[in-house]
Amino acid sequence: MISQRQTTHRLAAYAVFCVVILLVPLFVSDAYLLNKFARYIVFGILSLALSLSWGYAGILNLGQAVSFGLGSYCMAMALKLRTIPIQTGAGGLPDFMVWNNVHTLPWFWEPFHSYAFTLFAGLAVPAVIAFLIGWFIFRARVSGVYVAIITLAMLVVINLVIIDQQRYTGGFNGITDLTTFKLFGVEFGAYSVATYYLAAVILTLLLFLGLALMNSKTGLILQAIRDDETRVRYFGYDVANYQNFIFCVSAAVAGLAGMLYTLVMEFASPTFLAVPISLSIVIWCAVGGRASLLGAALGAIVVTGVQGSLSDSKTFLDTWMLIMGALFIVVVLFLPNGLISIGDVIRGRRQRRRRAAPARMPEHAEIAAPGRSAAR
Amino acid sequence: MSNEPILELRDVAVDFSGFRAINGLNLQVAKGELRCLIGPNGAGKTTALDVICGKVRARAGRITLMGQDITRLPEYKIARRGVGRKFQVPSVFRELTVRDNLEVAYCKRLGVFANVRRLGRSAERNDLEKLAELVGLEDVLDERAGYLSHGQTQWLEIALLLAQDSGIILLDEPTAGMTAQETMHTAKIVNALKGRHTLLVVEHDMAFVREISDIITVMHQGRVLAEGSASEIQGDPAVREAYLGQRGIAHA
Ligand SMILES: Nc1ncnc2c1ncn2[C@@H]1O[C@H](COP(=O)(O)OP(=O)(O)OP(=O)(O)O)[C@@H](O)[C@H]1O
Ligand SMILES: [Mg+2]
Repeated sequence: MISQRQTTHRLAAYAVFCVVILLVPLFVSDAYLLNKFARYIVFGILSLALSLSWGYAGILNLGQAVSFGLGSYCMAMALKLRTIPIQTGAGGLPDFMVWNNVHTLPWFWEPFHSYAFTLFAGLAVPAVIAFLIGWFIFRARVSGVYVAIITLAMLVVINLVIIDQQRYTGGFNGITDLTTFKLFGVEFGAYSVATYYLAAVILTLLLFLGLALMNSKTGLILQAIRDDETRVRYFGYDVANYQNFIFCVSAAVAGLAGMLYTLVMEFASPTFLAVPISLSIVIWCAVGGRASLLGAALGAIVVTGVQGSLSDSKTFLDTWMLIMGALFIVVVLFLPNGLISIGDVIRGRRQRRRRAAPARMPEHAEIAAPGRSAAR
Repeated sequence: MSNEPILELRDVAVDFSGFRAINGLNLQVAKGELRCLIGPNGAGKTTALDVICGKVRARAGRITLMGQDITRLPEYKIARRGVGRKFQVPSVFRELTVRDNLEVAYCKRLGVFANVRRLGRSAERNDLEKLAELVGLEDVLDERAGYLSHGQTQWLEIALLLAQDSGIILLDEPTAGMTAQETMHTAKIVNALKGRHTLLVVEHDMAFVREISDIITVMHQGRVLAEGSASEIQGDPAVREAYLGQRGIAHA
C-alpha cells in the first residue's frame, strides 16, 4: 500500500536521518568518539549493501564480507605502498614481504601505486568476483538457502587463501602500519572529522541513489523476482541477469564500505572477511528492516552502537551478549520487517481494526469477494 | 480454419520421472483462433500449456511458433516471442501493489539497464489504470496483491495478461472459483481478445467453453481424443467414455 503520501513520508525520514548524521560532528568533538561513529556508519553502508540484494531481491548473500574485505585490502595496499618506513628492503617493499623473503613487488601490487586505480579496484574487484559467482549460481537457478550456503563456502575459501598467502597478503596480521589517505589535499586520518564526513556523505548518497534504483522499473522487477521468480520469467525478463546485476551492485557497495573501513581502522585484516562479520551483517539487516535501505543502515548503527556501549560499560560486561540476543529475538518475533516498520505496524493495526473483513485470510475474503467485482 | 498454424505441437511427449504425462500430442492452432482444451482430471492439459511456455521440457517432438522451433528455448525467450501464460494456481506478486503487478507485466523493455533509466512512468500508468478499470480493480490499485480476495486475484491475473499483451495467450482454468456472473464477464473479455490474439484456454466449465470457443480439443491420457465444435464433442461416444466415472462432460 504505497501511496503518494507514504512516498513523501519515506523521503522525509531519509532526509532527517541524513541531516542528523551530517550534523553529528558539530556536537561531538571527541576524536575517539567520532572515529567510533564513523565505524558505525561504515557498517551502515555495509548493511545497506546487503539490503539491496537480500531485502529487495531475496538473494541472501552470506559472503558479503568477501566484498567488504577485498575493498579494505585494496585501500590498505595503496596506503602501504606510500608508507615511508616500508623501505626496509630494496625497491620500497612492504615490511612483511621483506620478512617473508619476497624480493620484488608482486605484479598485482604494482597498480596500487595509483589512487585512481585503487578506488576503481576497490569497487571493481568485489563486483567482478560477485559477477563470476553470480553467473554460475543464477544461471543454474540456485535460490534460497543454497545461495546462502554457496556464498558462505566461498567466503571461507577466500579467507583461507588470504591467510595462507602470507607473503603477499600479510597473512593473519593483515596489512598494518599504513600512511594516511590523502586526496585533493585533504587528509583522511582515522580520527579526523574529514573521514567522518566522507563516510556520512557516502552513506547519504547511497541511500538516495539506492532509493532511486529501487523505484526504477529495474527495482520493481527485482522485487517481483523476490516474490515469485518463476512468474517473472513468463513475462520475458531474464531473471538471472537481474539477479546478477543487483548481486554485483551490492558487492561494489560493500567494497566501498571496505575501503572506508581501512581509513577508519588504519589497517586491513583477514577478520574483515571472516564468517562472524558476514553473519553480523545479516543480523543488522534483519533487525533494522532488510526491505528498507534506511532500515538496514539504521539497524547496523543501532546494533553496533548498543553493542559498543554495552561492552564498554562495566555494568554490562558479562551480560551484554545476553541483552543483544534478547533484542534480536524480540525484533524477529514482533517486528518481522525490522525496527523501521514500527510505524507501519501501529498504523496497520489501526487500519485492520477499522476494516470489517480481515484482509489477510483468503478463506474469509473468498466468501466476501464475489459480489464486489461481479457488480461491475 | 484455412490459416496456417501460428502454434503447432508435433508428437510431443513429456515425462515426469518415468510417468508419461503427455504422449504423442499433436495440436495446431491458427492465428487469431480461440481454442479450448478440455479433458478429465489428469489428462495432461496443464502439462500441454507448460511444455509450450517452457516450464517443462519435451522428451520428444517439436513445438513451433510461427514456423520457428521453440522446443528448447528458455521460458523468458519463449515469452519474448509472444507467449503469455496464466497458471492454474493463482500466481501474482503478493508483496507488490496491484499497480506494481501491472507494471511488471507491462514488459515492453526487458533489459536491466534500459529499465534502470526508467524513473518517470506516467504514460504507461494511464494505460494500466484503464486496464484495472476493465477488470474492476481500479479501487484497489494501491492495495497489496496479497490482500486481494480469490476472485480479485483471478481478475488481476487476467489484467496482467492484458498488460503483457502477448500474441498468444495460454489460460489455465481462468474461471475457477468465479461466480456465474463473473464467469460471464470473463467470457466477454476473452471474446474481445479473439482475433487480435490467439488463445488456448483450458477449462472445465462447459457453459463458459460453449460461450467462447470455435473449436474444442478434448485430451485424454496425454493425447488428443477428439476435436470439433461443442455439439460434435458432446455427441462423441469416445469422449463420453473418457469422462465416465467423472461427473460427465456436460457438468465437468
Ligand atoms: N510435476 C509433476 N510431477 C509428476 N507428475 C506430474 C507433475 N505434473 C503433472 N503430473 C501428472 O501428469 C498428469 C497430467 O497432469 P496435468 O496437470 O497436466 O493434468 P490436467 O489435465 O491439467 O488436470 P486438471 O484438470 O486436474 O488440472 C497427471 O497424472 C499428474 O499427476
Ligand atoms: Mg490442470
